[in-house]
Amino acid sequence: MSGMIVLPIVLPLLGAFLLPVLMRASLGLGLWIGPAILVYGCWILGSQWYGGATLPFSLAIGGFAPPLGINLYVDQLALLFAFATQLLGLLFWPFKLDAETPRRQALMLLLVAASTGLALSGDLFNLYVFYELVAVATFGLVAASATGAAYAATIRYLILSGIGSVLTLLGITLIYNQAGTLNLAHLAQLAPERLDNSLGLSAFLAILIGVGVKAELFPVNTWVPEVYATAGSRLSAFLAGLVSKLAMLIILRLLVLVFHQPEAIQVMLVLGILGVVSGELAAWRAKDMRRMLAFSSIGQLGMIFIALAIPDGGGLLAVLALALHHLVIKSGLFMLADGWGGSLERLRGAAKASPLAAALFVLFSLSLIGMPPLPGFWAKFTLITELAAQNSPLYLIGLTVFLLSTVVEAAYLFRVAALLYRPADAETRPEQLPRPGGLALTTASLFGAGLLAATLFVTPLGDLLIHVSGQSGNAALYIDTVSPGIPGGSR
Amino acid sequence: MMLSSLDELLIYAGVTVLVALLLGRRTAAGWMVTILYGVQLLGLVKMAALGYGGAAVDSAVSFDVLGQTLSWRFDGLSWFFALITIGAALLGSWYSCGEWERAFRRQGGNLWLFHLAMALNVLSMLILLASGDLLSLFIGWELVSWAGFLLMAMAGGAATQAAMRYITYAMAGAMAIFGGIALIYVSAGSLQYDAILTAVERMDTTHLWMLVILFGAGFGVKMGLLPLHLWQAPAYALTPGPGSAFLGAISSRMGLFAILLVLVKLFGIINIERLKIPFTLIDARDLLAWIAVFTIILPTFTAMKQNDARHLLAWHGIGQGGYMLLGLVVADALGGAGGLLHVFNHATYQAALFMSVTAVIHRTGTSDLNKLGGLVVRMPLSFLVLLVGIIGLAGLPPMNGFVSKWLVYRSLLNQGMPLLFLASIIGTLGTILSVYKLIHNIFLGQLRVEHEEVKEAPWSMLIPMLILTAIIFVTGLFPGIPLAWVASALQAIGLPVPDITLGGVQSPSGSLDMIWVIGVLFGGFGVGALIFYSAGRSKRVHQLDNYAGGHFLTADVRYQYSDNFYAGLMHLIGGWYRGSFLWLEQGVKSLVEFLSLFMQGIYRRANAEFYLLTVTLFVIAWVVF
Repeated sequence: MSGMIVLPIVLPLLGAFLLPVLMRASLGLGLWIGPAILVYGCWILGSQWYGGATLPFSLAIGGFAPPLGINLYVDQLALLFAFATQLLGLLFWPFKLDAETPRRQALMLLLVAASTGLALSGDLFNLYVFYELVAVATFGLVAASATGAAYAATIRYLILSGIGSVLTLLGITLIYNQAGTLNLAHLAQLAPERLDNSLGLSAFLAILIGVGVKAELFPVNTWVPEVYATAGSRLSAFLAGLVSKLAMLIILRLLVLVFHQPEAIQVMLVLGILGVVSGELAAWRAKDMRRMLAFSSIGQLGMIFIALAIPDGGGLLAVLALALHHLVIKSGLFMLADGWGGSLERLRGAAKASPLAAALFVLFSLSLIGMPPLPGFWAKFTLITELAAQNSPLYLIGLTVFLLSTVVEAAYLFRVAALLYRPADAETRPEQLPRPGGLALTTASLFGAGLLAATLFVTPLGDLLIHVSGQSGNAALYIDTVSPGIPGGSR
Repeated sequence: MMLSSLDELLIYAGVTVLVALLLGRRTAAGWMVTILYGVQLLGLVKMAALGYGGAAVDSAVSFDVLGQTLSWRFDGLSWFFALITIGAALLGSWYSCGEWERAFRRQGGNLWLFHLAMALNVLSMLILLASGDLLSLFIGWELVSWAGFLLMAMAGGAATQAAMRYITYAMAGAMAIFGGIALIYVSAGSLQYDAILTAVERMDTTHLWMLVILFGAGFGVKMGLLPLHLWQAPAYALTPGPGSAFLGAISSRMGLFAILLVLVKLFGIINIERLKIPFTLIDARDLLAWIAVFTIILPTFTAMKQNDARHLLAWHGIGQGGYMLLGLVVADALGGAGGLLHVFNHATYQAALFMSVTAVIHRTGTSDLNKLGGLVVRMPLSFLVLLVGIIGLAGLPPMNGFVSKWLVYRSLLNQGMPLLFLASIIGTLGTILSVYKLIHNIFLGQLRVEHEEVKEAPWSMLIPMLILTAIIFVTGLFPGIPLAWVASALQAIGLPVPDITLGGVQSPSGSLDMIWVIGVLFGGFGVGALIFYSAGRSKRVHQLDNYAGGHFLTADVRYQYSDNFYAGLMHLIGGWYRGSFLWLEQGVKSLVEFLSLFMQGIYRRANAEFYLLTVTLFVIAWVVF
């Protein structure tokens, strides 16, 4: 049964290559293939979670046991993100029909396959390969919106991402050079003697900065505002919501398993704080919705980096809660931004044209700010209690920055909310008011419903997240699962 | 699961919200919610034992989330505040039914939203008052903040601007509290009150200082404590009439409730007194007292400069909050009782005043103090309500405001704090001057021609106003009635309780019996009336029948000016009005703007590629060498 887990990676990959050909043969059939694959993927992953297999497990690919062969590592965290990938792929599926459809759908399938692979991979080399695949797919997708601004934004993203990849590869090379393996479980065993030195630290920093390009880490996130403002909002939602979190996942695994140097997390803490400050403050003056959301997303990911920087895995629960929360909220908000692009001033009175969209905007904003009892509050609560418990000045600065930036966040989000509910100009006819499209609004409503459901079931959800984060923070379990025979597995 | 009477009360409040939400567009919606507020009041009466020292009532509901237990309970303090909340909502909602709501709808107001916002405010306040641990307190706090925002923002235009300002302040306050909660959680290991009580005892001063500042400032925002007060007056004043009566009566007192709960009950005045300010003779408690006094003085004198009746009242609302805090910081039996009693008294007269002013707006269409005058004959009952209200506000006998202020003054003198006493007297002076401006410019002086046909406010509005007036007088005559509840509330937070009689308090350092005071006062009135009526016949003339120097004055000649009131006084003290706080607020805003510009510049111009390449080169260099 556990072998099924490769299907959510392989099927979309296969689909991505076959889709253009299939569509030429039969458009009707081709259009169904993509969503069908993703639905099947969701089903497989869901059944793995519910009784399909004992979690966590490791699956050696090609019959060679790790560390020689490559393996997939499936724990609740990996499964959760893999599932989220397939589900979001489905929700943000590019239904639009035009000449570019085959290419766009194929790229989307490729993106989903690579992202799922990224979530499940158990060794650094595979992670890198999937990470590159994600990059390639996103280049294509961003450029596919085919406006001049989108091309310019893509070029910048391309260059940054390219250099980031080189840097990541450099870090991986250093690790291989020191440890002689790229299997994460094996690395976890070797790390204390081989990588607990300044070379190991520089390897981590190289990977952090390299991967940070996608995780919107300050200061390598300058592509974010332009790309999100020009790419389609469905794609922006996918990038801001999911891809950034997957990049974060790589760093999380490395921190839990391999790198335990205090300098490593300090760097991350400082960059996280700078990300929060710069993102939230820049959003304050943003003049259009998508840029505002992009900056806010930088700020939110900065918060996740701060949470990740809490030593000894104390922040994992906060990381997980914040990441999932941001995934839902930002996806929903970007969906609303679909019809609300352009200058913010244009949104005046938009609540009249689409009351549901305005209400959803208020709901998402409230949760983003951390208004209890919405889930955002609990995510932030776990973060600030952990930060306060660190009792070191740098973490307290992080706490202060976090709290102050929330005030700024509330101010700019509710400025927009007030604008939405303000009466429109007298000469504006109701049908001229901007409104999100039906599909986008439906998707956003789904996220809104999810958010409300999470509010109601916050107790079981919290327990679940505690369990997931406990499992993902357990390095010994990881080692034991991947290579059960090796003595000293429980480091 | 057995529902306790607290659960029933919360269910009633929830039902009120639901009714407002679902049936709020019906014609009789106003009456329906009003009746439901009445039901809530009955639910509260069912717990009346709490007002007389009864044991706390627990809610049957509690949640466990992420290792935290959330629970709700009602004690004497909660009951006292809940009584004011529901009472204010009931009378405010009653006032809005009938003619006011028809006029409101004609002017394009959203009545459904109004009722919904009111009901949400009451529900969230009850949840806040019922909080049984610090986390549920914070949840209630945030709910109250956002419900208040809804009510303030609903009028649109300038009101929305004011509400935005409010929510920014409120968020800043909430985040201070949130930070404080995180710190407490770390040192106490739990957010339950008992755990915090023991943790505070072994806390070092730095830690406690930080907590006092964070919680004091956070809760102080809602109370409008200096220097966090700027948002309050415009936000309350621009809320639709009955809404501003409700907000003015109780909303900012939620801040006081939270301060009492956390600073007084959990931290303890004794522990706060332990916190000395270096290089000075004062401690944190004195600091709080002085903040309270400045909160009395400055907003009161700002009120004096207002030319809009609603703004004038709203500024007083901030100032009166200072008396409450002052009494409770002094924290002896008389001071604590005075501070808490003032919460009740202030709610009664402030609601009455806002209602009276709203009645004037309803009839004349303006609350601009320079465009009114002489309405006393046209709207005599509204005049009476306003008169009784301002006597209460100024703290003069025979109304209830006198009792609470007397208790606060007495305690300041008893505890040997003459400077604070003097300062609060200055505040009272400003109050008297400004409320005179209020009543003079609306009801006394020259009637305007355009108001010649103005009628008295409709009965739907008058009845709640008159009920409030009666309460103001009766609780002034028999302050023992509310003082019993106050005593129960004081007991709940562990403050000393005074010796209460029906007419006031019994104390070795000075007693007060209002029945005697009022008896003597009315005796004096009787003598005055005898002289007045024995002076012979007087002739009634029309209000516009005026003469000066033997010449008839036509009605359009303004012979009496309300503009630039207190010109002489302003000549003396005008220089003190500098808008320093506005300047401070603007400074913070500009700083954020500037930083924001800078950060955007970083994102627009920074070449991250360059950083990346540099880092790459460094790493390669590191590896090679």
